[in-house]
Amino acid sequence: MSAPLLRVDRVSREFGSDRTLVRAVADASFATQPGEVTLIMGPSGSGKTTLLSMIGAILRPTSGRIVIDGLDITTLGRRELPRVRRELVGFVFQTFNLLESLSALENVEIALNIAGVTGPAARERAHALLCEAGLEQRLHFNAQALSAGERQRVALARALANEPRLLLADEPTANLDAEAGHDVMALLRRLTESKGHAAVVVSHDPRLHEVADRVFRLADGRLTPAELGPVQPDVEQPVPREIVPLVLGP
Amino acid sequence: MVPLARRNLLSEKARFTMSIAGVAFAVLLILIVVSLYRGWSNVGRFYEQLPGDVWVAQPGTSDPFHSTSFLPLADAQRLAKVQGVRTVIPVYTRHIAFGEPGHELDVFAMAFAVPQTLGARTRAYEPHVGTIDIDRVLASHAHVGVGDSLQVLGRSLVVTSIHSGGNSIFETAFLNAADARSLFGIDRLTNFLVVDVASGASVPTVAAALRSALPGTETHTSEQFATSFADRVNAGFLAVVGVLVAIGFVVGGAVIALTTYTATVERAREFGVLKAIGASGSFLYRVVVRQSLIVGVLGAAIGIAGSVAATRLIRNSVPEFIAVLRPLDAAGVFAVAILMAIAASYVPVRRINRIDPAEVFRA
Repeated sequence: MSAPLLRVDRVSREFGSDRTLVRAVADASFATQPGEVTLIMGPSGSGKTTLLSMIGAILRPTSGRIVIDGLDITTLGRRELPRVRRELVGFVFQTFNLLESLSALENVEIALNIAGVTGPAARERAHALLCEAGLEQRLHFNAQALSAGERQRVALARALANEPRLLLADEPTANLDAEAGHDVMALLRRLTESKGHAAVVVSHDPRLHEVADRVFRLADGRLTPAELGPVQPDVEQPVPREIVPLVLGP
Repeated sequence: MVPLARRNLLSEKARFTMSIAGVAFAVLLILIVVSLYRGWSNVGRFYEQLPGDVWVAQPGTSDPFHSTSFLPLADAQRLAKVQGVRTVIPVYTRHIAFGEPGHELDVFAMAFAVPQTLGARTRAYEPHVGTIDIDRVLASHAHVGVGDSLQVLGRSLVVTSIHSGGNSIFETAFLNAADARSLFGIDRLTNFLVVDVASGASVPTVAAALRSALPGTETHTSEQFATSFADRVNAGFLAVVGVLVAIGFVVGGAVIALTTYTATVERAREFGVLKAIGASGSFLYRVVVRQSLIVGVLGAAIGIAGSVAATRLIRNSVPEFIAVLRPLDAAGVFAVAILMAIAASYVPVRRINRIDPAEVFRA
């Protein structure tokens, strides 16, 4: 087996102190290989987003190590973290977080601009990514004019703009209907395999088991391996009514 | 490069338009005030257009408008003998108030007793007996034109010429020297003696010789009178002008700062997203500074264009207000507006620093 692309080693994160101390993530450890989709499931408040923020160099762990593509990001200074976020990881958010005043094309292009790619090179790359995401007819649509599924596909294209080694997705289907959720996850699965990067998806949506290579369960900050296959929804966090079971195609 | 700064501003077109207008009005205010100040400062340049090179006066004379002087008319002959002197012209000056009660005009009247030996151009400063040459502001205020009569100190003088000039500080009239002596009630005296220096002679040398020839007098060049006049205007107006200009800059800066700040606060989450996907601090600062610069540059450009139009309008419709818009002043105000825009980015930049990229995970 090749070296893991991501290694999370006994990572903990605490908030507050003394009597207000909360341990959001406790000694979490796991590793991900290139081309793998790792699903971390758990109810709201279980620490999923905290763990994802730490892997994405947005939040510093209280203890433990996070190594992405051989780089221990927990040893980096504050000023070096933006470089990790723009070069090593790509984010997909639950609420898409597109820039509302920009078009679909510009939303992807600006991620390239941030990494120093400008002009025609940035435009052509953004164009190609959106075409790959099936949005060639929506390139110049303002972000506000896109459907939820289209927005998430733009967000996915943006996340992949700088060819990150690791894709991090926070509840990527939570605001999508069944069909859009299916499309987005199928796209994420396909792109992960074809580009050889790894993806870590946190969600409480059990339908995402279908696209995962490995599943972990996070409860009260503790991460444990879970069996692949159909699972029941978390009782603490009912699945929104508009979401129906996701069935992926071949 | 994605024009994020422009898009952020244009997403609220009404606010963007009002911000541009605010900066433009601030720049307009600054340039109008500066233009009027420049105009007033230049009023003294009037002396440089008059005949002669050196003015001989009683000691303590700042300039003919602000102070008077009396010299014996016979001194003209003594000065004429000084080496380097071509001609000596007696000059009579006086402020005259005349006109209807409640509609009185305060005019600075001058009369040059120009010798016939001088050229026509110089002789043009002395109208014929019984006539008067007035400036266009006086003509406007007195409601007279060429051929009309003006009642001056009980004498009826026919307007034969209307020259350019005149302003809110003083209106001018040129009289015939004989009429001036009669109207002012002086016969063997004159107010000033203006010396026309011979070509090739040094003006400072001749001035020194004049003072030696006529002890108890002092000499001034037209340029010194102009400078003295400008100094008096500066003493009276510079502080006021400075305050108004400072207010203009503060208002303009506040408008830019407020616009950029609100545009930043409204998009705080989006700035958080940019931080989360790896935007460096400098990338975000550039977006904010660009927002400020767009408002500053457009506002200043429109303000300058408006000032050019306004100064023309003032010159044409209110001739007593002399507005001189110098390109250097416009360039200076534009440069300060740019600096002001950059400085106005400080508060929004601080706000961006406080944005936590982890906020983007909140639904």
